Amino acid sequence: MNKHLYEIPAVIVIFYDLDWNDPLWSEKMIECASRVQSMRAALEDRHTRITVVLIQNTLSLPAGEDLLASERAIALCSSCELNAQSLFVLPHGDHLQGYAVRLENAFYEFCQNIYHNEAKHVKSHKEHLNKNTHQYLYVRHQFKMGMLYELKQDVHTAHKHYTHAYNNLLEIRIVDTNALEIRTVAGFLNYKLCRLMFALNLPRDAISQFKAHIDRFKNRMGFQELTFEHYAWLSKQYSVFGDIFDEAVKLGLPAVQTQHPGIYYQQAAQYAIMRKKSCQELCSSVIAYPHPDPLEGANQLEFYGQRPWRPGKVTAEPPDPQVESNGIHAIQFLEKQINHSNIIIALYGLAISQYKTYRCPRTRRHLVLQMADEYYNSKDYGKALTLFTHMLWDFRGERWWEILSQILDKALKCAYLTANVQDYVLLALEVLCSLVTTSLDEKRRVYENLNRILKKQIPYGDPKLPQDVLQNAIILWQPVFSSQPLNFSLDMANIITCVETKARFTKSTYEVDQNVTVEVYIRSTCPFPLTFTKVSVTVNTPEYSSEFAVTNWENVSLNFHSFEVKRFVIEFMADANDINKEIQIGAINILLGNQAECCLDLKYTALPDANDNHVELLHFKYTGNNKVDFANIRPLSSATIVPRDSKLNVECIHPQPALLGEWYEIKINITNDEQFSIKELKIELGLVEETADVEFSLKPAGQPQKLPLALGRTDYLDKKGKYSTNVFLVAHKLGKYQIQIKITYTLNSDKPVFSIKTENIVLPVVQPFEVTTKYLSMLMCEIEAFHVEEEFAVMNYVKCLSPWPIVIENTSFKFISPVKSVEENVTSQLTGKMFNEEEVGAELNLALCEKSLLQNINIGQYTIKWKRQNGYSTTTQVTMYGLTCEWMPVGLKMVAPAHGFVRTPMVLSYCLQNRSRQIIQLDVSVEASEAFMFSGYKQLNLSVSDNTEDVGIQQDQLRALIERSVPTHLYVMPQVKGEPVMQTVYAPKKMTVVN
Amino acid sequence: MAVCVAIIGKNNSPKFFTCLNPDEELNFQYKVLWSLDVVEEKLNAGSKGGTDLRELYLGMLYSLETHKIYGYVTNTKIKFIIIVDSTNMALRDNEIRSMFRKIHAEYADIVCNPFYIPGEPICSKSFDINIKNIMTGTV
Repeated sequence: MNKHLYEIPAVIVIFYDLDWNDPLWSEKMIECASRVQSMRAALEDRHTRITVVLIQNTLSLPAGEDLLASERAIALCSSCELNAQSLFVLPHGDHLQGYAVRLENAFYEFCQNIYHNEAKHVKSHKEHLNKNTHQYLYVRHQFKMGMLYELKQDVHTAHKHYTHAYNNLLEIRIVDTNALEIRTVAGFLNYKLCRLMFALNLPRDAISQFKAHIDRFKNRMGFQELTFEHYAWLSKQYSVFGDIFDEAVKLGLPAVQTQHPGIYYQQAAQYAIMRKKSCQELCSSVIAYPHPDPLEGANQLEFYGQRPWRPGKVTAEPPDPQVESNGIHAIQFLEKQINHSNIIIALYGLAISQYKTYRCPRTRRHLVLQMADEYYNSKDYGKALTLFTHMLWDFRGERWWEILSQILDKALKCAYLTANVQDYVLLALEVLCSLVTTSLDEKRRVYENLNRILKKQIPYGDPKLPQDVLQNAIILWQPVFSSQPLNFSLDMANIITCVETKARFTKSTYEVDQNVTVEVYIRSTCPFPLTFTKVSVTVNTPEYSSEFAVTNWENVSLNFHSFEVKRFVIEFMADANDINKEIQIGAINILLGNQAECCLDLKYTALPDANDNHVELLHFKYTGNNKVDFANIRPLSSATIVPRDSKLNVECIHPQPALLGEWYEIKINITNDEQFSIKELKIELGLVEETADVEFSLKPAGQPQKLPLALGRTDYLDKKGKYSTNVFLVAHKLGKYQIQIKITYTLNSDKPVFSIKTENIVLPVVQPFEVTTKYLSMLMCEIEAFHVEEEFAVMNYVKCLSPWPIVIENTSFKFISPVKSVEENVTSQLTGKMFNEEEVGAELNLALCEKSLLQNINIGQYTIKWKRQNGYSTTTQVTMYGLTCEWMPVGLKMVAPAHGFVRTPMVLSYCLQNRSRQIIQLDVSVEASEAFMFSGYKQLNLSVSDNTEDVGIQQDQLRALIERSVPTHLYVMPQVKGEPVMQTVYAPKKMTVVN
Repeated sequence: MAVCVAIIGKNNSPKFFTCLNPDEELNFQYKVLWSLDVVEEKLNAGSKGGTDLRELYLGMLYSLETHKIYGYVTNTKIKFIIIVDSTNMALRDNEIRSMFRKIHAEYADIVCNPFYIPGEPICSKSFDINIKNIMTGTV
């Protein structure tokens, strides 16, 4: 193999600097030819192909055009005895890469041809062979061909030949003497086959080939004395297959959880262990290396796997027993020198990393344990202990107690043998736990050892350990106790031990002046009594942590018998600085042993076990006669410190609801119902939700103050003393407001306690009344529009909505231009009236509009000054929105007496007014109703203008004018008895035309 | 005939373990532990499919040189593991399946028992006898 791989080339390339037009052409040609000749001579009869590459500086012309070039090429070929295809030209120009690739391809092709021919050559030997006598050669030839095809990179054919070789090999009868040889060759072939199958993307075939291979050779032991050799071979097979598999995976083959390289590494490790065992069995008697060296020349053997003491011999010859046994002895001796543990550990390491990749945490753990066992066997107790302790955690988490017990046992031994006190103690405490299934005798031994360590005495070793190992351990232990008192702090958070603890606050909130109580429950599941020296609890606040020792020493002893549960109480005062903060039980510390000699500080966390998911169900558990039901104690590891509950009596007096816009008074009465007098009382008022719609003041109608508003303070208030204050507020928007009154003070007790009392007031704000405005014509009919210069009435209705009676102090109208009041002396008609809920008051005012308006605009303010009964007066302004105002060129007014008498004349005067600048012509007709007689013009034409059309009065406008201006009815009273007093009779007046 | 039966809780802690040869118990525990890896993997793959009505029987988990390991997972993630001698050819898939079903029924019975606290290891004697009977095929 070495010959083909490293020694014989397939193609030799001679690079030579030569241009076609070189001046020294012929000399150089001869030099080149001589080089080729010497190379050929060196190769002797091999089928190696020789090629020549001319490196040229000038770019050559295309073939056939350069006559000189082709001529000289032929000459060169003939002088070198080469055929034309073996001559290449490499112009040293710009496109070197392209030429290089082409050359490479050409050389590759040559190589392939050469190997193909070689293979054919080998095949031709086959005819001379005889199946019976040349069994070995069959295999050899097939292997050779496979090899050559592999070199040719023809994977399929190579695979075919290797398969043939393998099958031929299987036909050979295996006896003790040739077992090693056949095994070795089979190993090679199998390696080649599996590798190629992975390369051909046939992983299943590769695996099945490997399995079949192992099945076939597993029981072909060879010499009984050299079984380890067989196991070494098996181990090698597995690990090599693992390597190939791993390589294939790295090239992109997907592996699965049940089929990946790790499995093979694991098997390899297993066989390595068997190798070690058989080695221990077989080689223990071999002490010296035999002389003369039977293994001389082992590396120069012509064939793989043959014994150096009978090279090239055929099986049929009977072996010389003396030489044979000498050889075996030599091999056994060499085997004994090998450090098996290292091999095994390395294989486990590979397997573990594979199992990790394929998500088999548990299998991985098992392998780690086996690895640790191996470390233990190789006396590397420190490493074994590290691995064991790492693995303990996982098994603890999944509660495999039996496996855990086994590991603990081993780990304890390791800890003992390395004199690792801390780990030894920790493991001992775990072994003593009731869940661990170690036998009681063993536990007693561990318990005694633990007590010895506490007394600074060297613990007794496991009697099962061999004597010399124990001796070493004792030497290691001696310096451990020679030093000063031993103090260990052991973190028990993640392990199960024979001492279980639970701690809880008795309440989830504590007031500042109360004692915080922590209950600690301790249960010992150790089968033997345990005595502690101290129990304490570390309490963490956000700033600091402090340790508190158990306070109820008197009634509880610290001696624990098996399965005894004891309750300890720890009390301390909460710190006033921790108000509104959370305090936590950080750790429970139990001290074992005494300070002077050896002392163990066992540190537990107070957090509940996250694994218990059916805690409620534990109530069903039978707890026996134990007073304390340990399993059902729920740890409560955090509590909040809150301010003390104030006994101050706060009374807020105010007539709800507040009315919009009024100054609303809230009276606050505080009574001290505390046990002590208080000092530094402060009252503060604020809104729960900030808003600008409410203003506060200390006086009615005073300056609004900023929030929070300090309402008052007093330095001292007696027991049962009273303090009162008041506040005013005005709301500008309807809604509900939450007002908070916060009272802070200090209690005048032995220890001044700061207290806070808050009182919330929910204050709804409602409207005091509702104002609606109506516009009426002079005939008291509702109108839809104003008319310029025509008077109208503004009627305001005030409807009381407040649940409390409201007194109206004054009202006033204030019109803004173009609307003005036509009344001269206005007095409010509502003044002094009191309204209850739902009562309505109305008020009328006459006004006129001077300009035409197209929109409903603000015509003025209606101001109401009001107050609650006994309240503070408030002014509310309501904006009045008017109607549109139309312009009529003609005004009509009728003046009539308030009433008339039967059969008595009365004067009705109609007053027509022209408001325009033009002259208007009107036809006026007056018709009497049946009840009247009348005198005067019945029909007349008025003030004819030049052009009537310009003014543009519609007939229906005039009709509407008449409807709204002329009263339709008139009171007519019966005639007074006696002489009727004639009313002033108006002389018919002459109509005048208003200019 | 099975050589070992294990019932594993949903947090992968053993609830019940029995095997015909008590000396080999530790060895079997390791085997069961390995197979749990496969069970977990199968459950994870199953949950991606999002099908609630999955097959409880997981089939063969591991085929070792000496033993075959079969698995079964209830809807509440309680795992049943049966280990069979690999030389035992009499047990077909169907027999294993019915064995699992019987164990499941037994388990349901023990959970119904008011004296049993779910999540705790099972220590009922009659349960042990029943499972042993199922293992040996005498039921």
